[in-house]
Amino acid sequence: MTNPIILIARKESGELLLSGRGITWLLALSIVMSVLSLLLVSNTELSLLDNASVVYMVMGTVTALGSLLAVVLGTDAIAGERERGSLWPLLLAPVTPSQIVLGKMGGQTAGWIVMYLLSLPYVWAVGSSGQNLAQAVIYLALFATPVVLGFGFFCIGLSARVHHVRTALLTGLITLMLLASPLLLGPSLRQSGIGKLFDAVNPFSAALNTFDSVVIDSQTLAVQSSRLVVTLVWLVTTALFAMRSMRKIKI
Amino acid sequence: MFKIFVTVLFLLAAANPVLANDTLEISLQPDPANPPSPQMGDWLKFHSKIENHSSNDAHGVVAWISLIQVDPGKEQPVDLEDWSAHKAVTRSVLPVAQQVGVEWPMRLIQAGSYRVVISAVDRETAHVMTSPFIGFQVRQMPVVESGRILPVAFGVPSLLLILIIWRRYRHRGIFG
Amino acid sequence: MLIEIQGLKLDLDGKSVLRDVNLTMEKGQIYGLLGPNGAGKSSNISLITGLRQPTAGLIRVLGLDPAKESLGLHRRIGVLAEQAGFYDWMAAVAYMHWFARLYGIQLSAKEISLALDQVGLDAGNQSAISSYSRGMLQRLGLARALLHRPELLILDEPTNGLDPRGRRDIHDVLLDLANNHNVGILLCTHLLDDVDRLCSRIGIIAQGHTVLEGSLADLLGIRAAAQRYRLRVTANAVPAILPSEITLLSQSGNWWHVEIAGNARPEEAWRVLFDTDFPVEEIHREGGGLEDLYLSVTQVDREAK
Repeated sequence: MTNPIILIARKESGELLLSGRGITWLLALSIVMSVLSLLLVSNTELSLLDNASVVYMVMGTVTALGSLLAVVLGTDAIAGERERGSLWPLLLAPVTPSQIVLGKMGGQTAGWIVMYLLSLPYVWAVGSSGQNLAQAVIYLALFATPVVLGFGFFCIGLSARVHHVRTALLTGLITLMLLASPLLLGPSLRQSGIGKLFDAVNPFSAALNTFDSVVIDSQTLAVQSSRLVVTLVWLVTTALFAMRSMRKIKI
Repeated sequence: MFKIFVTVLFLLAAANPVLANDTLEISLQPDPANPPSPQMGDWLKFHSKIENHSSNDAHGVVAWISLIQVDPGKEQPVDLEDWSAHKAVTRSVLPVAQQVGVEWPMRLIQAGSYRVVISAVDRETAHVMTSPFIGFQVRQMPVVESGRILPVAFGVPSLLLILIIWRRYRHRGIFG
Repeated sequence: MLIEIQGLKLDLDGKSVLRDVNLTMEKGQIYGLLGPNGAGKSSNISLITGLRQPTAGLIRVLGLDPAKESLGLHRRIGVLAEQAGFYDWMAAVAYMHWFARLYGIQLSAKEISLALDQVGLDAGNQSAISSYSRGMLQRLGLARALLHRPELLILDEPTNGLDPRGRRDIHDVLLDLANNHNVGILLCTHLLDDVDRLCSRIGIIAQGHTVLEGSLADLLGIRAAAQRYRLRVTANAVPAILPSEITLLSQSGNWWHVEIAGNARPEEAWRVLFDTDFPVEEIHREGGGLEDLYLSVTQVDREAK
């Protein structure tokens, strides 16, 4: 007998890869990556950016786009099923709310793995002639994974607590924009007291600063330990939020 | 404006070794391990010594590194943001006859001809004191190969598009 | 007893949704749960299925407390919600396989095919569920609700969107389940014809409480004081030969309006009529049936508010 968590996770990942909605999202994200990469290449030919900086920017963009995909999938996970009427049969099957939410989390993980694999050609294309390509691939997996999945789990929790996808999506996107603001703001704006404090606790900043530190400054994992802790705390907190929210699900 | 700045800096540097009323003497040497013909992406290191050769302690000493591009038509001071995190040192007091050694590492970001110079001020001296400048040339390096990115940028979305078309024509019984 | 509900109360967000719901249902029975929109039928189902916990009252389904033993209960009940949604990118066979495995059942292709065939769907149809009509979706929902052979089936508007033949097919499936497999069926519907044809017991909920509950025959018997019928008779029919239980009210060509006295049983009156070889061609009941009953009790309750 297959574990319900695995069954639900397989269904979720199948939806991403086989439903029109899921592949269209992946196509849209890959087009964004392509446009960005082409822009960065034309930029670097003017020698304004070096190879490592381009890799860093691609890593930041992959993290942001992965988080965006996670927000979309997460908000759809419960609220979307509720709106489409497919949540009732799931809730009335002999599975616990925890199994449902863990299955949904598995689907999120599969979605991120697909997104990560799609991003690797881009990282390779912009980074293979420079330094720290291997580190870029490893640290993208190590640091972007908890950040991206955290957004997904957070939005699963949101979508269990609200009635409509739109409400959950809006809240998820605002949170993503807030936490991803370091990607948009220049470094100088992050040097203020509040900026530094925000950077210290923001998982998105932790991932970006790690990418900068590792790919551009060639620093080691030991230097990144506190940042890794920040991303892992984010992951665990959002997972607990999702589990707790599922127990208080709005029917 | 940039040209005036560069000219002033060169004039200051050209007056080396030391102005008569300078309190600080600043030396600047390239690291022996520096590549002889550096290119973009290489690291260079410079060593400087700042010595108080006056008869009084120097207070509030600040020394900083400046990088100037001197390619004809491109003369300009360089923003060190991407080049180096070590941009300045400070000492509250530099006693008489004491010296402080400073390492200045930098990563070469852009091709061109450059001059590097260390400048310093203290509270008592009314003008900037500078080291001799060191010039170096950075060779161009192809940083990102567009030959790689083009197939990826067009290939990945195309593959997904093919997947979308393919799924329209296949059975969907994957869970059977 | 399949379902036993007494004095059920449910408050949501400070508002009283259900205040006194009572319901009893036996094995093999088809129970019609009726009520106007917003009366509390869906809330009642959410309590029966354990998706919500009641504020007060007793509720036992298959001898279990739904809120506390929902996993065990879900293995034994099948539910088709009114707005049943599907994973519309899957084919029906894949969808059935997936749900069967969620219930811990490994069904063969033949078993899946039979399950779909039972509700009139073609297992060979490999197109995505998104291409299905409303009627096909209803049938698929019913097939899913039945795939683990539940002891209790809860159906919310199961014949919505079906053509008359499709409705009749579903009726036959439900009657077979109740009569031959002893499955209890709780049927929430607005289609009184469905109730009339299928249900042996009904409950009417209005404004969050049970206004009427009992066997359909008893409830209609209570309301039998003024049972009026329309008869189509042949030209040679004479009013004088009508049996005493039947009173002629009016006459319009071959159509007669008659009334059967409240203390008489209609089937007995008709038997007497046929025994006299009275030349009747058609008999139509006018009011006094389930529709009248439903409208009157829900109207009384609305006026009482």
